[in-house]
Formats: sequence, structure tokens, C-alpha cells
Amino acid sequence: MSAAKRVQQWATFARTWHIFDCKWQDPYDSANVIKKYLMGLHKPIYHPMNDSGDVVVCINSKEIALRGDEWRKRAYFHHTGYPGGASWTLAWELHNKDPTLIIKKAVYRSMKGNLQRRHTMQRLFIYPGEEVPHDVMQNVTNQIRQLRFVPTRLDHIPEEVTKTYPKVMDFPEDYVLK
Amino acid sequence: MALVRRFVPFLAKAVRIQQTTQAQKIHRWVAPTLMELKRREDKLGGKKYYPRNTFLDWNLEAELYAFGQRLNEEFDSDLLLQAFTDRSYVIKEEMKQKEMDFDIKMKDNKELADIGENFIRAYIQNYLETVLPKFPLEGLKCIRNHLTSESVLANISLHLGTKDIILAAEYPVDNFILANTFKAIVGALLDSSGEERAAHFVRDFVITQLQGQDVNEYWPIEDPWTMLTDILKKDGATIEPRLIGEAGKNTLLACYRVGLYVDKKILSTGFGESVAVAKEMAAREALKKIFGTEDHMKPINFQLDGIPKPNSQSRYQISAS
Amino acid sequence: MVFLTVANWVRSRGPDEFWRKRRVFRLAAHYIGRRRNCYSIAVRNVHRALVYATKARKLKKQDMIDLWNTRINAACEQHNITYFTLKEGLDRANILLDRKSLSDLACWEPRTFESLAAVAKQKMNYDGFIDNADKKHPTGVNLNLKDVMLEAWLKERKQ
Repeated sequence: MSAAKRVQQWATFARTWHIFDCKWQDPYDSANVIKKYLMGLHKPIYHPMNDSGDVVVCINSKEIALRGDEWRKRAYFHHTGYPGGASWTLAWELHNKDPTLIIKKAVYRSMKGNLQRRHTMQRLFIYPGEEVPHDVMQNVTNQIRQLRFVPTRLDHIPEEVTKTYPKVMDFPEDYVLK
Repeated sequence: MALVRRFVPFLAKAVRIQQTTQAQKIHRWVAPTLMELKRREDKLGGKKYYPRNTFLDWNLEAELYAFGQRLNEEFDSDLLLQAFTDRSYVIKEEMKQKEMDFDIKMKDNKELADIGENFIRAYIQNYLETVLPKFPLEGLKCIRNHLTSESVLANISLHLGTKDIILAAEYPVDNFILANTFKAIVGALLDSSGEERAAHFVRDFVITQLQGQDVNEYWPIEDPWTMLTDILKKDGATIEPRLIGEAGKNTLLACYRVGLYVDKKILSTGFGESVAVAKEMAAREALKKIFGTEDHMKPINFQLDGIPKPNSQSRYQISAS
Repeated sequence: MVFLTVANWVRSRGPDEFWRKRRVFRLAAHYIGRRRNCYSIAVRNVHRALVYATKARKLKKQDMIDLWNTRINAACEQHNITYFTLKEGLDRANILLDRKSLSDLACWEPRTFESLAAVAKQKMNYDGFIDNADKKHPTGVNLNLKDVMLEAWLKERKQ
């Protein structure tokens, strides 16, 4: 193979490192997006036998937002393999123990149950907060767009801006707010 | 009697059904016989291949005539016979004739081969200069060396069917003799039919070996960066290499993309496992662009008639050190 | 003296046993162990292999269609449209490209695919069909398709 062809192949099959901010996102919806990048389904050169997936780094996994009552009601099953080793853990308990597990399990569940699943999961890195190791952060070259819009919190906006922001209406001075 | 005659069609049909499955019944002794034959052959040192000219129905004159007709060319029969006669064969014949005391002089193909070789070289040089106008002369020389190399010419002459017609001391014929015979055939064609027909012959059989091949592969460039800077210095331009993209910097499968800019306009880009490799590949792509031999270049025209006239306008002189 | 009766008692195993079995052994050359060398074991495995081959002919076609679909979906996503929009738009514009051609174009001719995506999107827009699943960003903006295609074609028609 000539040098030009070799280098062209290297570039075509190079693995990109993507970053995904899980803040206030639904883990199961974001798992669908993440799994696409992990398996390589976002590339026109995809093939199931070819290891064409990319690496995804998830940050802020402790800020994840489950829908409705799920924090209280969703239970995760685990069996140690020994008799009497079955345990059901609720979502909030699991999240307290290890904040990365919910999103990890969500991505694992979204993939098809074949032998490539465990291998593909090794390409996923999850960090609970904003701190990512320096060498991992240096590899990252793309950001995946979040699914749900993340609004800025009112108390995160500086006070002068809130005070001077134009108002449509305001309550009269003697109005009592309940 | 009438009874037998009435049942003949049925009998015939019965017989016919047995005969439809022809290839299946192989006798029981065939396999062991073949195995024994192979064992004996191997003991004597492998299967012996005899040349076709030892068979009973060999007619050299007819073969030479057919050879010419196959190629749609008109050869002078003496010249063609001379072209196929190798020096080793002439030596062998002379030794045999010394014993038998009669003298038939056979000419060998050395002079024809020299004439043919010179013509092939000159014509290929001419053709390549016309067809690749911007490619430097060193590169053309390398392509020409490849096309006139022993292996390529031997391959061509093998597929033209010269293997069985060549008169040589040993069989099977080796590559050097095959290549020589091809050059001698071109020499013979030159003498018989003229320059234009010989030119078309060389074009159709030798130059077409370039079809589908990347022309840059035949000219290995050691330092593309210095070559590129030298070329662009003559036009007074400076190259600015910049890192355009990277992926997985700290991994084993890191990929970098370097772009070369001239006057803030992009000249070429290159990929690589490290920045240095990417820069070198970008320089190579830039050189390919300058020489007009990129991946997406127009395919080489294999249908130029006659002796083409190259115009050496925009050819870069890489100074031979 | 020639004893003819003994020869009559020998069971004839068939004249072309070697060649009949050779047809099976050639198909089993890449098997492991006794499956490669012993006929009665090889023949079972060769038959299974042939049955799999027969059944797989239909499955291969389905597998290829699925692969092409995945690739076209990936390529459409790169250009911010959906597979449905692409298919509908191209069908309505009388561009009858099958899945195989579309996936090959997506791999090897990215700019052609981008222009096809732009054509499909534009055709759907003209038909008043707005696919809400398409992303908000446009396709084929940098290709200057107008300059390349329509005017040149009109000029040709005039001449």
C-alpha cells in the first residue's frame, strides 16, 4: 500500500473523542444519542463487524434528571451470583452510592445485547462532575448537542441584570403575595 | 423378431437413461493409478513440462505466421525468426553442427534487441512527456525504467505467447530471454512495417501497463518538504504549514491534519499519525498537485497516434545533485 | 487355475467411491479434526454448511438492505435531514436511486450526496411538506447548486 493510501485509511478510521454534558438531561434519551456515537452509527462507513465506533466522555453525570417519580420508584436489580445475593436498589440510593451508574446502565440497556456490547461500553467514560483528567480532555475534539434545553438559573444571573431587566407589568406596592 | 422390434424404442430409451449421467462413473482403478504415477513422478524429481515444439504437430513457420496475424501486424518472416532465436540456442546449434559437419548459420536476436530497446526507450520517453506535461524528468525516467524493466517486458511477452515459440537452450525460458525477445520483436517490427506501426505496438502493449496505477508510486521522493520549498522559492512564494485538525492526541491512534497555505490560500492538506508525518504527506499532496498527478487527475490518454510531440513549457527542473 | 467364485463373493464398493467422496472432502478442507478427514463425519457437516448457505442467500439480501439503510441514515444525519425526507424528496423529483447507490454515494461521493440531500429537501419544501424531524440547519448551502446546475442547463436548452 502506498503511503498516501495508508494515510488516507488512517484518517478515515480515526476515532474521534466526543464530549456530552449530561446536566439536566434524561439519561434514557441521551443514551440513544450516545450509543449512536459509540457504535459508529453516525458514520456512513459503518459496519457491525468493523470496530468503527468513537469514544464518548460524559460529564456532570451527577446532575442527571430522571422523569417524574422515577427517582423514588425506579429500582435497579443486582445479583452477586451467590444464593440470596439478589438486591433491588432504588434510583436515588444508587445515585448516592455511585453517580455514574445510572447513565452507564442506561447506555448499556439501549444497546443490542450482543457480544460487542461490553467492548463498546469500554469506549464510554463517565465523570460525575466537571473534572476530567487532563489527558482525556486533550483528546476530546467534538461536543454532542444536548437534547433538552438547559435554562440558566435565576440565582445564577447577576443581580444588576435582573433588577434593570425591562418589565411588562409589576404588582402594585401594597399587593400582598401569598 | 417382431416382438423385439416392437420393444426396441423402449430398450433404446432405457439405454439412453443410463447414458445421460456420463461423467459420474470413474473406474475404480483410476484413482490408485494416478496416485502411483504421481509418486513415481515425484521420485524422479517432479513433473516434467515439455515445450510445445517437441510435440509432433509443431510447425514453426505456421506458428510465426500466426503470431504475426494475431497481432494484426505484418512481419518480415526472416526477421521474425531471427527475433525469436536466442544466443544460447545459436551456440547449442553450432556445437551440434560441428559434430555433424554441416553449416547453417542462424542469426541471433542481439542486434534486433538493441534496436528495439533504443526505440522503446525513446518512444516511451516521448509519450510520457506528452501525456504528463508537468511531471519532472527524473520522475519520467523512473516510470520509464519501470516500464522497460525485465519483469514487465517478460510478463508482456509471456502473455503474447512467445514462451513456446522462442528458440532457446533451456525450457522453461527465463525472464531475461523473454524480455529480450520482446525487444527483438519490436526491432523486427520496426524494420518490417515502419516507425508508426512499431510505435502503436509499444503504446498498446507496454505503455498500457500504467492503466490503473498511481504514477507517483514509481518515483520515490525522499524529502518532499525541501523539494516543495525549492520549487516555490523560484516563484518567490513562502509556504505556511498549519495544524488544521487533530483527533485522539494522547492515544495510539492519534490522527493529525496539516494544511499548507501559500499567500493565505490553501495549497494542500495531509493526514498522519504524528504532526511530522502529516506535514510530509501534505507536502507530497502539494507536489502531486503541482505535477498534475493527483488522485483525481484525468486518466492517461492511451490513444495518441504516431510519434507525439511534447511541449516542455511548464515542467519543473529538479536539479540533479 | 483361476478361482472365479472368490471374486464373486467380494462386495463391490462402487467404482467411483474415491471421486464421490472427494467432492465432499474438497468442501470440508478448512474444517477441524475428524470433520476434515473422515467421510461419515465430514458429510454431515458439509450438508449442514450447504443448508446454511441456501438459507443465508435470502438473509444476506436483508442484511445488506439493513446495512445500506443504516449508512444512509448516518449520512442524512450529517446533512440535517431524515431518511424519510431524502427518499420522498428524491422519489418526487424522479431521481430513482436505490439504497445501494445511495449508500455508495454517501461513502465515496460525499458532495454528490450532499447535493442529493439538498435537492430532496428543496423538493419537499416546494410540495409544502415540512418534516418536523429534520434539524433546523440547512443542507447544501455551500455548494452553490444554483450556479452550477440550472443556468448551465438552461443555456444548453437555448442553444
